[in-house]
Amino acid sequence: MPVFGELELATIADSLPAMRDLDTEAWELPKAEVLQLACEIADGSCALLPRALHPAIPEYVTFVVTRYPESPLGPFSLAQVRLMARAGVHPRGYVLGAVASSPDAVTALRERWGYPAVQGEIALRRYHDRVAATVRREGRTILELALVDPEVVSGGDLQYIHGVTLARVAGAAQLIQVDPHYTLHQASRGRACVSRFEPEAWNAVLVELTTPISASVSTCDTDLPRIRFVMEPETPVVRGTRKVR
Amino acid sequence: MKFGLFYELSVPRPWTRESERTVYDNALEQVKLADELGFDQVWAVEHHFLEEYSHCPAPELFLTACAMVTKRIRVGFGIVVCVPEFNHPIKIAERTAVLDILSGGRVEVGTGRSATWTELAGFNASPDVTKKSWDEFVRCLPRMWTSEKFEFEGEFWSMPRRTILPKVYQRPHPPMWVAVTSPGTELDAADRGLGSLGLTFGQFAEQEKRIAEYRRRIQLCEPVGEFVNDQVSTVNFLYCGEDDAVGLKTGRQMANHFNYLAAQLISVRETYPSKSYPSLGLLPQLRRQATGPDASEQAGEGLCLGGPERITRALKRWEACGVDRVNFLLNTAESIPQADVLASLRLFGKEVMPAFNGGKS
Repeated sequence: MPVFGELELATIADSLPAMRDLDTEAWELPKAEVLQLACEIADGSCALLPRALHPAIPEYVTFVVTRYPESPLGPFSLAQVRLMARAGVHPRGYVLGAVASSPDAVTALRERWGYPAVQGEIALRRYHDRVAATVRREGRTILELALVDPEVVSGGDLQYIHGVTLARVAGAAQLIQVDPHYTLHQASRGRACVSRFEPEAWNAVLVELTTPISASVSTCDTDLPRIRFVMEPETPVVRGTRKVR
Repeated sequence: MKFGLFYELSVPRPWTRESERTVYDNALEQVKLADELGFDQVWAVEHHFLEEYSHCPAPELFLTACAMVTKRIRVGFGIVVCVPEFNHPIKIAERTAVLDILSGGRVEVGTGRSATWTELAGFNASPDVTKKSWDEFVRCLPRMWTSEKFEFEGEFWSMPRRTILPKVYQRPHPPMWVAVTSPGTELDAADRGLGSLGLTFGQFAEQEKRIAEYRRRIQLCEPVGEFVNDQVSTVNFLYCGEDDAVGLKTGRQMANHFNYLAAQLISVRETYPSKSYPSLGLLPQLRRQATGPDASEQAGEGLCLGGPERITRALKRWEACGVDRVNFLLNTAESIPQADVLASLRLFGKEVMPAFNGGKS
């Protein structure tokens, strides 16, 4: 059997987002810009991963910075650091940390989808030779990264892995599957370059970046969907998954 | 219809010296029995770093051992990864020749280019160019085996004029194959006059269509070797029980183990957007399609799990689709006890094999 995560749930139980319930309504999010970087990391991240999940082989993280120009709350941006994993046979990105650009977005993301969101400033900029993102919080830059030398690819060449958040629902910790849909209009890929990453700001103290893998950027219509599946965080997902709808 | 074995050599945790050795020993014992039962070939893949799923980085060594304990069964060196960071083409030509000599001319060569980020990045190889390097390799290998002296200047490797030794035992050279996972790769095989070594199950109708197109295209091929290998091979699970209930239960368990381990690997597409690895090219995904929770009833019918009659029915369907050979995975992560694997093989040899080839092995 593959290796499992080793997260001691009690160590983070008090800081988990509290969800109102699992009846979250979907948000349509048209014309989004999604910058994603993947990077291999040093061994040792299992202590951050819930016991229900397996680490990827080799271990790696993704940084996802998204600008949503239209949402029920108006424009906002979201930056995530995700530890990539397997829920049984399914690839999933376990969200370690998230920064959203407005207080309303922070509240909604925490209460509706279980994101461990905090407020910060997010900039996503396109230049002739790169697409760059910066995330700042409390006066400090906590993430600075870029896709370098963009090259147009087909939308079909990109694969977005669904996310998993860890939140409290009715007092109990649950893994929440967040599985947006994507209709891609434009896509590019390029080299991944992370020039600044402060792990502690992303609940990722054990994450040490090693080898950059790839970067992509797309323009797409997407959503934050209704919740379909939840999982027990300490039970292998084969036994601990519950279909919500 | 010919039957073979297909080894990834899966080793479950916890890993010990003895657990690794047991997997290899068990596989050798299975191959020896398969040889006695009249199986035609045994294949071993080249994989690296694929924890639990495959501990088979040096298939030619395992196959040499197979050749030493058998008399007739052919040894399939493949999939050998035709990417320069993994293997220098001269070394592939030389190792193939030595294996062919030691086995008395029983080698078949399966070529491929790896489909996981885990492996390609481990060797610092770019996924973008693996198809091109594979193409260069497969055009060189037959000439390296058959020309007295050989020189080459290519995009991925070059060499001055030298005598590559030894030459292969078979004349003109061993049959060559291409690993086919992505739809369309069977046409790359056909265009070069190479056998289609399918590594996915798919469904009857889909496979039938792809095989028909392969057969049509290979008529027009420009062979890279001295002869055209126009055969189609597929892979399947095998667990033959006394009845369907036992056979299906045990066999499904093995198949599920396999799919679970395969899904832990990082496919190229998961992390690295590239035209070189199109969407349906994922070996684990396609295998899951056939045996996982999304499997259709039809795909389930194509699996060689169950009692002898059910397995015979499945193989007759594959035969009708145009498949020439079926290679079987017998176990995963040692989930089936060795005695049961051997019993399944014996039962298959006794009850299923006589239904093919006029009962002759």
